Order: sequence, then C-alpha cells, then structure tokens
Amino acid sequence: MQTTYADHFRHGDNYINPLPVRIWHWVNALGFVLLILTGFQLRYMDLFRLLSFEETVKLHNWTGFVVIANYFIWLSFYLFTDKIKVYHPELDAKKFFSDSFRQIRFYSYGIFKGESSPHRVSPYDKFNPMQMVAYQVMMLVVVPIQFTTGIMMWDVKRFGNWIELMGGIRVVDTVHVLIFILFVFFILVHAYMGALGQKPSTHFKEMFTGYEEKD
Amino acid sequence: MTLQSRAGGITGRPKPVSAALLVSLVILGVILLVSPAIARSSSEPGTKSDSKCLKCHSRKRNKTLKDGDVLSLQVSKTEYANSVHGDIGCTSCHQAIAARKHPSRESIASKRQLSLTLNQSCRKCHAKNFKVYESSIHASLVAEGNLMAPLCTDCHSAHAIESMAVYQPVTGLPCKKCHENIYEAYAQSVHGGARANGNVIRDSHIQAPICADCHQAHGVTAVAASNYLQSTCLDCHPDASLAHRQWLPNAGLHLDVVSCAACHAPLAERRINLELYDNTAQLPVGQHNDHAQIKKQLHAIDETGAGLDPLELWNLVRANSEDGQETDITLRGRMEVSTGPEAHRLAIKAEAVRNCDSCHHKGSDAFQNVVVSITRPDGRQISYEADKEVLSSIMSVASVRDFYAPGGTRIQLLDVLLVLSLVGGLAIPLGHITVGKILKKRTKQGDQ
Repeated sequence: MQTTYADHFRHGDNYINPLPVRIWHWVNALGFVLLILTGFQLRYMDLFRLLSFEETVKLHNWTGFVVIANYFIWLSFYLFTDKIKVYHPELDAKKFFSDSFRQIRFYSYGIFKGESSPHRVSPYDKFNPMQMVAYQVMMLVVVPIQFTTGIMMWDVKRFGNWIELMGGIRVVDTVHVLIFILFVFFILVHAYMGALGQKPSTHFKEMFTGYEEKD
Repeated sequence: MTLQSRAGGITGRPKPVSAALLVSLVILGVILLVSPAIARSSSEPGTKSDSKCLKCHSRKRNKTLKDGDVLSLQVSKTEYANSVHGDIGCTSCHQAIAARKHPSRESIASKRQLSLTLNQSCRKCHAKNFKVYESSIHASLVAEGNLMAPLCTDCHSAHAIESMAVYQPVTGLPCKKCHENIYEAYAQSVHGGARANGNVIRDSHIQAPICADCHQAHGVTAVAASNYLQSTCLDCHPDASLAHRQWLPNAGLHLDVVSCAACHAPLAERRINLELYDNTAQLPVGQHNDHAQIKKQLHAIDETGAGLDPLELWNLVRANSEDGQETDITLRGRMEVSTGPEAHRLAIKAEAVRNCDSCHHKGSDAFQNVVVSITRPDGRQISYEADKEVLSSIMSVASVRDFYAPGGTRIQLLDVLLVLSLVGGLAIPLGHITVGKILKKRTKQGDQ
C-alpha cells in the first residue's frame, strides 16, 4: 500500500526536502543529464550523433537557461528561509575532521557490516560534513562558473570583453569542459551514493516525498 | 496644317524667306549636335600640335633601349583620336617634349623605366584616383620593384584609353590580363554566371559585380587586410547578417572568423589562418613594426622548416609578448579559402555550406590546413605552414586563445580526462559493490 504524506506525518518522519528543493533537484538532475548528453554530442559529433549540431546547440542552450533559472529557485529558497542552516559550515576543524573520518570509515567499512550512518539526518542538519563541503563548493563556485562560461559561449560577440578578461575563448571553453568532465564523474558517483540508504530506494524516495523514512 | 500654310493664313501670303531661315536654323542645329560625334569618330586627333607629333609617330618607328629592348614609337592615329584623351594633346602627358626639346637622342633605360616616369603625368589631371592608387597593393608592389605590378597605362593603355565602364563589364580586362585564373573562376561563379546571363539571378535582374566592384578600381587592397571584402559582400547583401542570425548560432562570431567564401564556395579547400596579432596596438603584428625581424624569428624557431608545431607556435607568441614588455600578442584565427581562384568560385545560395557538422567535428577538412601569418605594412600576409595539431594541443589555450570551434578543434588532453572521469565514475560504484561483496563473503565464512 502506498505511503501518504499523512502517514509520514503520523510516523514522525523528518521532512528533509521541502517542495522547492525537490523541484529544483529533479529539474536540475534532468537538466544536467540533458546538458551532459548534448555537451557530449557537441564535442564528439564524430562519435555520437543523435541530433544535428544545430539542433543540439539549441537544446543545450535552452536547457542551460532552464537550469540557470532553476538555480535561482534553490538560491532563493535557502536565502529566504532558515533552512540555510543545512549549508552552515562546520567551523570546528577538529569536529569536522573527526566527523569526516567517521563518515569515510562508514562508507568504506561500516556500511558493509550493516552499521548505521554516523550522521543522523534532520531538517536543519541534512548533510554529513563532506557532503556539505562538496555541495557548497559545487553550488557556490563550480555551478556558477559553469553558468558563466556557458553564457559567454552562448553569445561570444556579446560577451567578448568578458571572454578577453578571462584570457580568451579557449580558456573559457577549457574551463567549461573541465567542469563538464567533473559533472560526468559527479553524476555517476552521486547516483550511486543515492542508492546507499537503508534500502537502495530510500534516498530516491526522500527526494520525491520530501520525508526521510524512520528506520 | 503646315507652318507655312498657317503663316500664310495669318498674313494672306506665303513668306518663303522666313521658311528658308527656319530650315537653315534646323540644319545648323543638327550640325552643332552631331559635330562632336563627327569629331570623335574622325581619325584626326584634336590639336594642331598632335598632327605634328603624329606626322612622325603614326609611322612605324622603333627605338633601341639601354637594356636592349626595342620600343615601338608608333601611335595609331585612329586609336588615339578615339580615346578619351583624343582631344587633350600629346604634350599634356608628354610634358618633357616641346618644339625644340625632343628627347629622341636621350637614351631610355627600359620600357618599364619610361612607363614609371610617364606614370607621374596621370597625377596632374587624375590627382584623386592617383592618390587612391598610391595606397593600393599595386602601387606597393611597384615601389618594391615588382616589374609585373601595374602602372596606370598597364590597365588603361597608353594611347587607346577608354572609360573603364566601356570594356570591363564585358571582357574582365584589364584585371584578367594578370589574374586570368581568378577571372576564370569568377566567370564560373554565381556572379560571373549572372553577368554572362544578362545580369539575371533567380529570375531577377541584378547588377552582378565584376572585379572593381569588390576590389575597387584604384585602391585595390590586399585581400587579407582587415575585413574589407566581407563588408563589400554585405554592401550588396545587406540582409545577409540578419539571414544568418535566423539560423546560425553565434552568427556575429561566424561572420567575423569565417570568410564568406569559406561557406559560399562549397567546393573550395579551406584552411585556418592564424594571424599574429598585437592586442595592445590593435593591429596585426608586422603591420606597424618590423615584419622582417619577426620573419627571422619565425625561421629561427622553426629550425627544421617542417612547419610550426604547438610548442614552436607557443614559443613564437611568448617571444613576441616578452619582447615589448607590455605587448599582448595572440593569434587571431580565421577560416578562409586556401587559394584566390577558389575564393572567387562562389556558388548559388542553395549550394552554400549550411551544415554545421561539416566543421564541428574532429578531423573536419576545414582544420587540416593551418598557416601562421605575419602581416606586412601594405596588408599582404606572409604565411608559414603549421602543424594542424596547433589547434588541438593543450598549448593552444595560451597561443591560439581566440580561436576555437567546438568539436573541430577540441583539445585532446581533455578527451583523456573525460575518459578518466567516466572510468573513475563507474569504477568507484563497481569497486565499492565488489568490496562489499567480498567483505560479506568473508564475514559469512567467518561466521561458519
């Protein structure tokens, strides 16, 4: 029988992922997959050809703009709600390293022994210390750089001065491709780690319902 | 009713004297109207002094020059009389000649030397065009001592001078005289074809261009100099920019870095021309400084003469950037047609390259030929072959930083990194699953 939201509430499940976060996440996920596929085709037309170059450019550009707009859903949600706490960095270095070490130990050993994750998820403490750093860097540095370089290449003439400031179109493209390569790696590892909940489907369900099911 | 009968009707009698006067006036008017035409078609030139000159010079006479060449001194009376200079007089151009001052005994070094001296005569009446000519690539070649470079008379002839409008549209002369292969290619192009077809393109009457319409008659510039030719195309095709923007991503950039002919002469071999460019001075390197020095430097860098490889190209850019402390040297890339004749074989619009895939993939023909160019002060370029790898090496990020075609000039090192990231992204989950299975198996074995 399907679990309803009322059931989650009755069970005292944590409401981890509010609606704006879930919308952002899945639009972002679909957008990233499309951007990676179209980006791959733009770069490797000789190996991979689903659409014409012209159609691929259009699809890549439009998807890019949707993902950029979507980013602002994420940014606005966290800027204007107290949920931003989930991204507050751990300033106690000792605690950060000891928590990180416990998390690494869990993923490399404890998980196979049936241990529970050392990090207990709650609405204001969603990420383990390594996740938090990774997502902060990703969302505040890497993703904006990718958007910026993508916009520059969308209209090279219009952003000519900015491109020149960055060192030329080759630099802009190389940065864009390096981040694309990082995203290819990230999306594979991210999808796998998403399957490392209590059950392989646990975290995926969380991202659809918003609730973390209690053990 | 005739004029005479009407006049008679008024006075009651005819007036034959007045009628005769009227007829005389009509005849006089006709004579006045046709007299210039008669004069132009006569075989006698305009002035009395010309007759004196032609008394001798209409006969077959030769003069042996210092270089051993023989100069014909004969001038065709008819040709000269019918030329646009027919009534200005011989001494208008041959100013050094007077009744008691005839240079027949003075020796002449060569035909070319005589033409060079007489070339200055044209300036007197045609100052504006002469000034434009002096800024042209033709004058630049003359100054260099190129004996094939045209002087005024090479295009306009010495004595049978006609208005350009009379003969060029029909025959392609005088350009064809030196640029025959280019003219032949032009004749096969959409422009040349339209001209041969009575200036009709796609059932519309269009004044198709001939040489001077694109290259100018007197101010012929080096094709590589600036974007002059592209703006010439756009002068006649003002909607082209907008039309490209309708379908071509980054249309403005394409119009800047791809020559019109690269797509509109679809059968032509294309190449990438990397022009050494000074971003600080906003001028091609060599145009404002010593191109010969850079030429030497280039030869020194490319020791083997086999063409510049990525490292050598990077060294060339770096050497020039370091030379002038604050100079910012880069290579400006442009896709163009490899040869002049091919650049003139422009096809109809429907045959132009419109398929992005033709350039935007690895191994595209467009990126197989690469040259590095230094621009001379007159706009001509000296091109050196370069290895095609200069476009896909990681060093291109520093050297060819302003030219990039997605897919076509992708950096190979990044391909390796992508493979590593794919392998890593799959290896981590697979490795983790494998380790988990092994540990579980061992735990089970331990429990047993």
